[in-house]
Amino acid sequence: MKALLLLGCPEISSQTPMAMYTCSKLIDLGYDVTISANPAAAKLVKVSDPKGFYKHKSVNIDNYLDKVQDEDFDLIIGFVHKDSAATYFITYCTLMENTKKIALVFNRDQALVNELVEMVDESTDAYIATARAYHNPNPIKVSLNKALDEVLNNNED
Amino acid sequence: MSFCLDTYLQQSDDYKILLKQSGFKQCAQAVKDNSKQLVHVNAGEKVLGIRLIGIPPIPVGINPDKKTVCITYTKPCNGTSAIELPVSDDEIDDIKSKSIDF
Repeated sequence: MKALLLLGCPEISSQTPMAMYTCSKLIDLGYDVTISANPAAAKLVKVSDPKGFYKHKSVNIDNYLDKVQDEDFDLIIGFVHKDSAATYFITYCTLMENTKKIALVFNRDQALVNELVEMVDESTDAYIATARAYHNPNPIKVSLNKALDEVLNNNED
Repeated sequence: MSFCLDTYLQQSDDYKILLKQSGFKQCAQAVKDNSKQLVHVNAGEKVLGIRLIGIPPIPVGINPDKKTVCITYTKPCNGTSAIELPVSDDEIDDIKSKSIDF
């Protein structure tokens, strides 16, 4: 099984630890993980895992749009915490129509969370998990675990 | 060599920024407001050498008299901008060929 993890701008401090956590979780679930990110977000992930413990393939979020095909992956998870992250997730989802999709929407501003949920919901059939969080990754982690349980029908922690 | 928007924006100064570092919906509206003709393309479609990011159908504006096009341009950290830039007739034909309007 293959999973694509789509990262947004790394300005939200909880994104990188959540990327590592999600990568670990997906590896445990038997997925080969590909992380699609811009250079800044990819560098944070790389520095966070100097020994390459969380094995994954890293691709550029713009360049990979030239290559990705529908059904290349079994699952796509997008970190959606600002408008541009929502539009990238929607774009990838448009190209990957038959892939299971999870949008993990988080921000400190509940009004923005609601706005991003509406954007994603209008344009994709993704399962949308939400958390009002910024520095603290725990609410996002709880929301992600619930989403994975729901979408993959998996009861692991 | 085919047109590449990323390179063009770095090396030219004859483009106009209609709206800078905003949301996609606001920039799509700016494209509509500043264009004589509109075509719509799918998200991820290659236009002017880049994949268009956004909520489909994505508007691309054409101003035949000025020989310019208006498009949205998105980057993860900078949000979306709406820009107008001069292009060749061939590029305009290429954009029209990618239209999903029926």
